[in-house]
Amino acid sequence: MSLRFLDLARPSRQHWLGYLLLLPAVALVALIIVYPLFVSLDLSFQKIGMATLSAPRKPFTLENYHKLFASPDFWNSCWVTIKLVVVVSAACFAVGLGTALLVNNRFKGRTLARLFVALPWAVPEVIAVVIFAWIFDSSFGLMNWLFIKLGITSQMINWFSEPTAAFWVVAVTMIWKGYPFVSIMTLAGLQSIPEDFYNAAKVDGANAFQRFWYITIPVLMSVLGVTSVLVVLWVFRDFSIIKVLTDGGPLKATQTLSIMTYDQAFGFFNMGYASAIGIVTLVLCVVASLLMLGRKSQAMY
Amino acid sequence: MAGISIQNVYKDYGALNVLKEFSLEIADGEFVVLVGPSGCGKSTMLKILAGLEPASGGKIMIGDRDVTDLAPGDRDIAMVFQNYALYPHLTVGQNMGFGLKMRGMPKAEIDRRVRAAAKILAVDHLLDRRPKALSGGQRQRVALGRAIVREPRAFLMDEPLSNLDAKLRVHTRAEISALHKRIGVTTVYVTHDQIEAMTMADRVVIMRDGAIQQIADPDTLFAKPENLFVAGFIGSPGMNFLRARIEAGKLTLFGQTFNAAVGVGAGEIIVGIRPEHLALGPGDVTFTVKPTLVESLGSEKYVYFEPGEHAYRADARDEERGKGLIARIAHAGPIREGEELVLSFNASEVHLFDAKTEKAVN
Amino acid sequence: MQRTTLQTLSLYAGLAVVCGVLLFPIYWLFVTALSTLAEIRQLPPSFWPAEPQWSTFAKVGTERPIFLWLWNSTLAALGSVALSMVVSVFAGYSLSRFSVKGGRSLGLFILTAKMLPATLLVIPLFGIFRSMGLIGSLWSLVLAHATLIIPFTTWMLKGYFDTIPRELEQAAMVDGCSPLGALFRVVLPVATPGLAATALYAFVLSWADYAYARTFLTNAQGSWTANLGITTMKGEYVTDWNEISAAAVFIALPIILIYLFLERYLVGGLTAGAEK
Repeated sequence: MSLRFLDLARPSRQHWLGYLLLLPAVALVALIIVYPLFVSLDLSFQKIGMATLSAPRKPFTLENYHKLFASPDFWNSCWVTIKLVVVVSAACFAVGLGTALLVNNRFKGRTLARLFVALPWAVPEVIAVVIFAWIFDSSFGLMNWLFIKLGITSQMINWFSEPTAAFWVVAVTMIWKGYPFVSIMTLAGLQSIPEDFYNAAKVDGANAFQRFWYITIPVLMSVLGVTSVLVVLWVFRDFSIIKVLTDGGPLKATQTLSIMTYDQAFGFFNMGYASAIGIVTLVLCVVASLLMLGRKSQAMY
Repeated sequence: MAGISIQNVYKDYGALNVLKEFSLEIADGEFVVLVGPSGCGKSTMLKILAGLEPASGGKIMIGDRDVTDLAPGDRDIAMVFQNYALYPHLTVGQNMGFGLKMRGMPKAEIDRRVRAAAKILAVDHLLDRRPKALSGGQRQRVALGRAIVREPRAFLMDEPLSNLDAKLRVHTRAEISALHKRIGVTTVYVTHDQIEAMTMADRVVIMRDGAIQQIADPDTLFAKPENLFVAGFIGSPGMNFLRARIEAGKLTLFGQTFNAAVGVGAGEIIVGIRPEHLALGPGDVTFTVKPTLVESLGSEKYVYFEPGEHAYRADARDEERGKGLIARIAHAGPIREGEELVLSFNASEVHLFDAKTEKAVN
Repeated sequence: MQRTTLQTLSLYAGLAVVCGVLLFPIYWLFVTALSTLAEIRQLPPSFWPAEPQWSTFAKVGTERPIFLWLWNSTLAALGSVALSMVVSVFAGYSLSRFSVKGGRSLGLFILTAKMLPATLLVIPLFGIFRSMGLIGSLWSLVLAHATLIIPFTTWMLKGYFDTIPRELEQAAMVDGCSPLGALFRVVLPVATPGLAATALYAFVLSWADYAYARTFLTNAQGSWTANLGITTMKGEYVTDWNEISAAAVFIALPIILIYLFLERYLVGGLTAGAEK
């Protein structure tokens, strides 16, 4: 009798399988994402240094949030984050779009070109850091040699001790790591446009620029919309590149919100304060995505 | 082999009712076709029969077993799908034997049955190939083979010919009919094509918007449609419809007055005349028209003409009527557009439908 | 498309320049790894070492526990990918086939999890893992990486399952399979390319992590992953760039090779899920 009850093949029971299959995901996500998120939120409302789960809860306080909104350090991090997001996203788009358009033409070796153009995607971020830390080395790095040879400067730039220079090192590294994603997504979008669209346009007398403007761009818009959000989110959240390259310095010139959150938690052991910063960062991320996509946020995913 | 009894089965999706109460008794070995336009509920009914969707109410019996809440695999049925649904990762032989393997049949017996079925369907030389190496027609035959190998109590077919090209469709249609004659298993067949319904069925169930319109054998459906929808659905080109008035027991069409059928009251009426019932030259009721378009098919001609005062337009869905009325004439000589033409029909072959209820009244 | 010889030549030239500039850093890594310390510490830099020092690779490979690091990265990746795939395959299939109440909300939530900064989640996870005694163990990474992977793989797999016609499972059920049986015997075998693509992408995601490894494993040298290990080779004041470059080559090579040979699948997985 009980076996009949569990027979999921019966029409009246078939939809049970839907629930059953979601259970593992719900359980795991609850354990490692939802629960920690709530702990995070909880921590942000406590004046707490090192968090121990078994210790009794500290009293509720908004002190952390007051502190961060009053802190020049926080606002500096916001500013650095925004600067980085804008610079890196814009450049990733320029390079990504450019390479995609270039590779989209039909020529021998196109598959190979496509492969190699996006190769930096496969290089782990920490390795990219090693590469660029060396290229921007102040004594013997390639970049200094290049700058002097090209007459851009007359002296060696100390890339890692000068705030502006350090910012650009981080930016360049991130751009190098970030553009392949834009390239890949754009290429996929470009290749999804049926040949017939262009043929019809050619028959109608459209020239190359018109074809680009009226056919290519509209299709690209939706792909670029999705891609731009993902790139922005990536820059917002990135930790590895900045931490290992400049560790937020010099003089906090490259300290993004992400780095500040981490340093407060594991450098200064102010986990309550750090959680507050983290929550604010999350809220900013959500707001940014919603602004960029509006009601299409669901469609994006 | 067994008969199927469907008793008051209906289906709701939340607040939306997609299938109204459906009852039908299918005799053992009968070939029943469910036909109707998209969204009429025929596929839903078939899926409920198969156990792939639960009914919101009602009962289904196959033979003497109540299968209403049985798993599809326990109903002793086999199904053929529109897009064949062959397992791409298995060979043709494995595809056909899959159901038997699931039931724990010994390998030797599976092999025997698969070979026999493959021979009947002329796919025995393809047993080791993968589905993607086959043509559309071959795939459909393998799908049929997968069904007959199970020796089930009933076959369910969901628009199996829709993905085939026109010539192949005609050929496979004949094959399925021949197969049915040979094996004689009760079959429920779903299609949107009324030609398939007319040529293959013992009985036809016409559906529209979730409700049954009429259940009858093809000839009765053609000669005695119970409502406007059935009348217009069966036959190609569809029946001509005209608006007219009955006064004092007489009907006037194209200026010709004649006796309407007995017992029909006065007032607005919808008249139906099949294109093939319009003949060239004088007859029982004769009138003249100026054709607007003549389509020649060699031995037949479709002559289009304006209905004038009798114009009838059912609703926005009815695009066919926009072109006017059609006469289907077997004539090899030339007929010119714009030149006056004499047509006639028999008063007895005219169908009358109530203008409000759209039901047949004669 | 007809193209003049000039156009073709300029296309190739443009491509060569672009590829050259963009891929130069990778080339430079190799050059540095093969140079001697003396060659490195001089200007102008040599674009190819006078005598390529292949021995640096051997030196670094034996002096530093590079292979241990790579092994740890692999273990963590295998563990987190396995865990994530099992969960995501079921969830993705459910989201594709069933309209479960709350399924959409779960799906949306999983998506928004993509926006979570790792630096936010690492704080509570640290506390949780501490109380579970997982700090210093690779298991902490298996769970932590799952938080990175599941948001992506669930939706990639759903998108992939959407392309498989439901009639296949229906045919299997009529043939006598239970719905779960149909999933395992018919749908999963057919979905293998998509599964492989998704698993590969998940592997790359796990391998790329640094934040969690650094936070949970700093004091457990035996468990260091590749990303963590190599950062310790960067000295406070002086770095042996040739050695660290050689180590970097070791670490970057597996992923680059995976990418070069399986790009088709990787990219397919990336774009299939995101393009809807």
